[in-house]
Amino acid sequence: MNEGLDTSLTVVLAKLEKRFGGRLRKQTECCGDLTITVEPEDWMRVLSFCRSARELAFDQLDCLLGDHLPERTGAPFEVVVHLLSHTHGHRLRVTTPLAEGQDLPTITGLWPSAGFDEREAWEMYGIVFAGHPDLRRLLTTEDFEGFPMRKDFPLRGTVGGRIRTDLRGKI
Amino acid sequence: MSDPVAQLIFLIIKAIVMPVLIILIVAFAIFFERKFAGFFAGRVGPTYLGPWGSLQSFGDIFKLISKEDLIPAKSDKPVFKLAPYIAFVPVFLVMAVIPFGPVGGEANLFGYRFDYVIASFDAGLVLFLAMGAMAVYGVVLGGWSSNSNYSLLGGLRAGAQMISYELAMGFSAAGVMLMAGSMSLIDIVDGQAGNFWDWYWIPQIVGGLVFFVASIAELNRTPFDLAEAEQELVAGHLTEYSGMRWGMFYFAEYVNLVVVSMIVSTLYLGGWRAPLEVLDFIPGPIWLFLKICFLIFVYMWVRWTIIRYRYNQLMSIGWKVLLPLSIANLLVTAVVISAVN
Amino acid sequence: MSGTQDTQGLVPAAQALSRRPSLEELRERKDRTRRHLEPTGDVMTISMGPQHPSMHGVYRAVLDLDGEVILAVRPEIGNLHRGVEKLCEHRTYHQIIPLTDRLDYISGFAMNHGFCEAAEKLMGVEVPARGRYIRTMTHELCRISNHILWLGTSIMDLGTQTFFTICFRDREYVLDLFEMLTGARMTHSFARIGGVAKDLPDGFDHRCRKVIDFLPKRLAEYERIIKQNRIFLKRAKNVGIFTSEDCHAWRVTGPTLRAAGIARDLRKDEPYAAYPEVEFDVAVEYNADVYDRFLVRMKEMRESCKIIRQCLDKMPPGPFLAPDAAHSLPMKKNVLRDSAAMIQDFYQVFRGPQVPRGSVYRCVEAPKGEMGVYIRSEGGAKPARVRFSTPSFYHGQAVPALVEGEMVADMIAIFASVDVVLGDCDR
Repeated sequence: MNEGLDTSLTVVLAKLEKRFGGRLRKQTECCGDLTITVEPEDWMRVLSFCRSARELAFDQLDCLLGDHLPERTGAPFEVVVHLLSHTHGHRLRVTTPLAEGQDLPTITGLWPSAGFDEREAWEMYGIVFAGHPDLRRLLTTEDFEGFPMRKDFPLRGTVGGRIRTDLRGKI
Repeated sequence: MSDPVAQLIFLIIKAIVMPVLIILIVAFAIFFERKFAGFFAGRVGPTYLGPWGSLQSFGDIFKLISKEDLIPAKSDKPVFKLAPYIAFVPVFLVMAVIPFGPVGGEANLFGYRFDYVIASFDAGLVLFLAMGAMAVYGVVLGGWSSNSNYSLLGGLRAGAQMISYELAMGFSAAGVMLMAGSMSLIDIVDGQAGNFWDWYWIPQIVGGLVFFVASIAELNRTPFDLAEAEQELVAGHLTEYSGMRWGMFYFAEYVNLVVVSMIVSTLYLGGWRAPLEVLDFIPGPIWLFLKICFLIFVYMWVRWTIIRYRYNQLMSIGWKVLLPLSIANLLVTAVVISAVN
Repeated sequence: MSGTQDTQGLVPAAQALSRRPSLEELRERKDRTRRHLEPTGDVMTISMGPQHPSMHGVYRAVLDLDGEVILAVRPEIGNLHRGVEKLCEHRTYHQIIPLTDRLDYISGFAMNHGFCEAAEKLMGVEVPARGRYIRTMTHELCRISNHILWLGTSIMDLGTQTFFTICFRDREYVLDLFEMLTGARMTHSFARIGGVAKDLPDGFDHRCRKVIDFLPKRLAEYERIIKQNRIFLKRAKNVGIFTSEDCHAWRVTGPTLRAAGIARDLRKDEPYAAYPEVEFDVAVEYNADVYDRFLVRMKEMRESCKIIRQCLDKMPPGPFLAPDAAHSLPMKKNVLRDSAAMIQDFYQVFRGPQVPRGSVYRCVEAPKGEMGVYIRSEGGAKPARVRFSTPSFYHGQAVPALVEGEMVADMIAIFASVDVVLGDCDR
């Protein structure tokens, strides 16, 4: 299944497999991108390893995003990070499945740029990042109710464009 | 009609005509500022009102008068209302002491002596500096009374800026004072009799430049427009002002521009005197007017070309460059004058 | 390519002796130029934005000031949030393209291009050569228009408004080209999956050459104005130093990263479109301050002119859209003449492209920085999740790290120098 991967990505995969072995849930490859799926408990360990190991050296977090897969009933949420190494020039995608209400440790300590991304994932999907310094709504208003990017949230919204005058002065 | 009565009538006429003339000059200065800004920026500027848009300023005034007078709810209302006047009145007072033609001498009008100055005041230069210092209270109080952080920062900046630039301005003007041996603007112009190489701008070139730079700061124009600093403080001390109250600040700024141009031409460019003695048949007020136009153009040129200084850079220029230069200029002038005498 | 090796500041000693400061030197310089972060008196909190003349849209920064020194910044974004990602989940891939150029409306084509590159990677569509060249050319025109606008606004933020209109005048030439090429001046929605919407119109080649011959002269003039202005040098040099490690930590990319001495440019490092076939240099500067960001962008505009000229020279004949009936729209001129094309058009418009399952992440070098697009498909014509990781989003986030310890006036200069557009930031 590793055909089509760059040599540097094969090194990354080998290194990760050596370090974590059976703890990696699965590796998939699509269009030349390598995806590692890990358990939420291993989230922090895997990512700090990615950040610090010499052969991996993922010094930039390209983006972190939440996702909702309602047909996957046990763990309908997913957090995806895209890592980039400026030293080696390779990219890696790490994902983890999450159940409703399950926390994930924050990675703002590893890459400060995750701050806004995690806030966005929280407000859009309701994924809680434990230990995040400032987990407030980012793009929507403070009084917004619901998590708008979930698949069951209607496209037109729930308040019908009404401005919540009753909350004025309380926020 | 006895001479005192004639002088009183002349005085009343001068006191009415002069401000009106200045206000007209200001209206066109605002128009030219916009035209020049357009010219420098490759635009056309105002075009609609009057020929080439020349009546634009009057349209602006009517618009400002007809606008709603907004006063922020939490502002200090009496001070907020008073501040525009504090900025506005002092600059008009300076006009009284600036000569715009020959003063004294024989009868020159219907058998009476007509002095081309409203008040022949012995300490005209000091009055100018004092009124400049007064006008800043308008800015500071306006900034403080608005109860807005931007306004407050703008007012504070204006205060600090004035303190540092008044000093350099005063010291460089003192050089001229030593040369003329008087603080009266009339005597200063008389001291510059002759052709343009007899004017004070040659012996006082350093002082003149310091005075000019400091006057830009006094006028709150780029590169020293830190009190307003649109891109940083929205509009500084003017943030909360609107309508005619804002218009008065704006207007005071341009009256100040005209007055400072008059002072600069009086101190360094021979006032109302013709550049060559053979051109003396052209009346003094016209020469003064031409000099004012030239200086206003230079001020506008500077404003629309140069980037703004940062606050601390402005302060360090004031204290570390302009002030020592002006003091050195004063010392050298004093030494040379005492050596010559 | 080689530039990526410089990442950790491991520059050879010979280079360190020249004008290139090492990472340690830059770090030390940064500490020196930043003022105190501890209050010396009462702290004043001011809310800068969303209605502020120089917040480039509706960015809001709550500043804690000690006099004029900024102690802390709390950025607030979202005033321009339009839910583009949610909308994408309810649109077919073709319908998403017009949404993308509303992200960074200053450089719309770069956003179109980024999305199409990602979608093509997912679908496995091969773009024909002419399509690739037109894309490259349009992308570079877009970069020029973005950088000229940036130049005007950032100099205006330093306090002179004259430059702003002068730059706008020159941007008009580029926008006129866009109008001729795409029919729109800003939000052109010109890229298509598998190529571009239209071929070059008659006379475009000539007009485009005229503009790119003329622009470098103008740029040289601007550069002379700015470089010889002592006040600009005072305002820009050693202000807002942001080292390469800061850039990586905050995902600050594009010209800001290149001004920090890293020759990272996705056009070279992860090439796409026709970039491998044209020659250009990556603009790099080493002092990581506002002034160097200015220099990088000026250089980039010249390189863009070079790229456009090469594209026009090398423009191959042939189709500009991929002949891929399953994923791509047909060429519009064929639709009313050819029944197969007509069927393809109906199929694509009403059903959309049939996309395999999978997820893809693709980055392109947008004018403001690296613009990444993540698409997860569950099959069918609509994506299941689209994420635009746009440069301004991260640049807006990095503002506290950029400006804390600087003065208010510097914050304006620095904010302008990293080039944030709020449509791009809030999505």
